[in-house]
Amino acid sequence: MPHQRELIKGSTDHLLLVLVGQQKMYGYQIIKELDRKSQGYFKFKEGTLYPALHRMEKSGLITGKWELSPTGRRRRYYHITAKGQKLLTLERTQWQDFIAAMHLVVGPANV
Amino acid sequence: MTSHVLNNYIADLKANLRIDGESENEVLDELKCHLEDEFDDMVQTGIPEEEAARTAVRLLGSAKLIAKKIYEAHSQGSWKHALLASVPHMLFAALFALNWWKGIGLVVIVLSSVLGIALVGWLHNKPMWLFPWLGYCMAPVLAAGLLLLYLPRVWSWISILIYIPLALWFIYSVTIRTIRKDWLYGALMLLPAPIAVGWYIALGHDGNSLQLDTDYIQGFAPLIAMSFLALAGVAATFVRMRKRWLRTTLLATSQFVILILVTFYTRGRLALWSSALLALATVGMLIGLSYIDRRMRRRSIFSR
Repeated sequence: MPHQRELIKGSTDHLLLVLVGQQKMYGYQIIKELDRKSQGYFKFKEGTLYPALHRMEKSGLITGKWELSPTGRRRRYYHITAKGQKLLTLERTQWQDFIAAMHLVVGPANV
Repeated sequence: MTSHVLNNYIADLKANLRIDGESENEVLDELKCHLEDEFDDMVQTGIPEEEAARTAVRLLGSAKLIAKKIYEAHSQGSWKHALLASVPHMLFAALFALNWWKGIGLVVIVLSSVLGIALVGWLHNKPMWLFPWLGYCMAPVLAAGLLLLYLPRVWSWISILIYIPLALWFIYSVTIRTIRKDWLYGALMLLPAPIAVGWYIALGHDGNSLQLDTDYIQGFAPLIAMSFLALAGVAATFVRMRKRWLRTTLLATSQFVILILVTFYTRGRLALWSSALLALATVGMLIGLSYIDRRMRRRSIFSR
């Protein structure tokens, strides 16, 4: 579905910020968590994840650190920064307003 | 077989990645970790190992595309770095705009500053801003070589025999180490070379281009300064750009434009054919640097 792909592409950074904002995560974990939480709706093209994470890291929104996972494997965990947290708060309000407005227009009462 | 599939993918990624060594290792380790996680999960669900490895690689997508996107995420330098990259060009512009070139003391101060700052950058992980500085470090080496030609005949031969191999070794060694990082940095380093040669030819005495005509230098000093200022703008724009193809286009076209302007404003002192030869040499330089980079990368992958 190209339309759905465009929607996901436009919200990649926000989705990543939300997930990393909840707990520190590594790349593969982010993909699995997004798939689980959205019940399969958000299927990331895996190759696009890492460039997005690195871009956000360069912008100072998240930071990556090599740490040992509970299984003993070394992984690069991403943490949200204060700048990322600030942006997330702002974007969350914007999203909520957007969803509420969309609901008013395309919601059951208008169909 | 399985590790062969995963290792081949990582090698392919490495061959196409053009970021600094430390970040490159981090990216490769991170993606290898991802492939291994994906592979382990699939094997645990009962998928045969070979199929799991191929699926993990397919899900991650084209190594070339990921390398390109990662490059774009890492490549852009800060405004501070853009300014630092343009400073050596501005210093050389000031040499001519403010007539510093007439005083040997000021020339020595400028060249020593360039050498000192280049040395600091070289010893601190060779950041992107270093390469324009390195390019100007070649200038005193070449200038000293040319001055040796004016020594008495016997001394001239002795110094040529000693100095030229040493100078060539220095230039070769610096260029190869730069290309190993990225051939585009090599091109950024050699950016002033065709322009400087163009001015050198244009300002040489008639029939003896080894000797510069100071009257002409004086007359063309504002234009020489302008061409170095243009190079400063090119270096700063290069640092701020993200996309590789844009950087390549910028380096190639800017040299052409500046050479055309030098030809035009020197009113025939730089002949059209000389200008065309310099433009061809510029294209040859870019292709040559890219070719050497490709060969070195291929060799380093096969030797792993």
